[in-house]
Amino acid sequence: MAAQRSADRPRPTLLILLVAALTLLTLQFRGFQPLDAFQQGVRDILSPVRSLVDRMTDPVETAWNGIFGYEDLLMENDRLQVELARMRGRLLTDEADAELLDRLLHEVDIAYADLETVVVRILGTPPGNFSTHTIEVDKGSDDGLEEGMAVVTGAGLVGRLQQVDRSRSVVQLATHPDFRVGVRLVTSQDEGLVRGTGVDGLVRIESGIRTDAVVALDEVVVTSGGRSLFPADIPVGRVLDPDDGADYGRSITVGLAARLENLSFLNVLARSPDDRDSR
Amino acid sequence: MSGRIRVAALLLTGLVVQATLFTEIRVQGASVELMMLMAILAGFHGGPQRGAIVAFCAGLLQDSIAATPLGLHALVFPPLAVAVSSLEQRMLRSTPATDALALAAAIACGLTAVAMAGQVFGLATFDPDTVLERALVVTAITVAVAAPVNRAVRWAVTGGLPPDIQLRTAES
Repeated sequence: MAAQRSADRPRPTLLILLVAALTLLTLQFRGFQPLDAFQQGVRDILSPVRSLVDRMTDPVETAWNGIFGYEDLLMENDRLQVELARMRGRLLTDEADAELLDRLLHEVDIAYADLETVVVRILGTPPGNFSTHTIEVDKGSDDGLEEGMAVVTGAGLVGRLQQVDRSRSVVQLATHPDFRVGVRLVTSQDEGLVRGTGVDGLVRIESGIRTDAVVALDEVVVTSGGRSLFPADIPVGRVLDPDDGADYGRSITVGLAARLENLSFLNVLARSPDDRDSR
Repeated sequence: MSGRIRVAALLLTGLVVQATLFTEIRVQGASVELMMLMAILAGFHGGPQRGAIVAFCAGLLQDSIAATPLGLHALVFPPLAVAVSSLEQRMLRSTPATDALALAAAIACGLTAVAMAGQVFGLATFDPDTVLERALVVTAITVAVAAPVNRAVRWAVTGGLPPDIQLRTAES
């Protein structure tokens, strides 16, 4: 039970605290660096403890998953067997199309596979319950990572580095509602701005594409580069709904090529010195 | 040990546990809101003024480890602590069951308030498809760990004094 004291002045105190919180929020949104440094400092101090607890809880987590996730593992195994069989079939077709593919790659100048990358391990969700569509990875500024760098898998774009500490980073996934990136439709060469939908596996091109542009179903979408922070030609996904009937703003739904299910590692595309100099 | 040191020790311990154990242990993707729980219990045991200050510090620490801007939790936790303190003084009869229900309601309100405040500031703090399920799970698992946290918060904010003693300032 609370010990109410006659000296308690809750209203002025509450008002002062609310003003202080609002001031901090305002300063943070205005990019006041000391606040970022304070947050980063607290996270850096806690990082070794978190790594230690990660290591200590890993065996428990593995045992838990082994006991309670066994059925899921079997189903996953079955699914992968089917996928492997399908991939073996496709391999033959791919070999036959290799020459054509090589020519197409040169045509669209896809240099994405040649970029220098830093391999990072997925640690899980950042602390708290209010960080949707973000994941935490195990490398940070000590490994040369910087905010804004593109995060990819072999299949394509995953997201970008939103918050970089010394030894950990938070990745904002492409499905995050605040995620934006310039993209290009490979066949039609139209460029637009893609944004996250908040739905797993889906993003949407909501501006830049002409209403009369011919956009095919399954057309490949890649990053446009240019003034964007991301390099050009990173595969984003395929068009699921070209929104042909739109009479004003066109909203094209794109299915992401990269899937995070069952992945443990990601690649962060390091910026070249030229990129750093130009920004 | 002075009251401030006890509160500081409590909050720092809570911060470490929140950032480590309760980030690892998740149920349906949801984790225990330990700092929010401490803020609520600080209002319950410490009264409106002390509760609000402890809640503000808890909010700032929570903002430091979460991927949210500094001040978001600190904006929500103090009014929550004051509201809990105010309601606690008006409760006629208190039983463990009513306390647990009141705590669950307070946590649910706190979660909603943080999510709404985040939306006001243009942050994607929750996924509309899963927000209800997430709130229920967070509330349930946070209430489940409340008993030991309650003892620790009471010790920290009341200095271990028996709860029914009314503290008064000496009048000269």
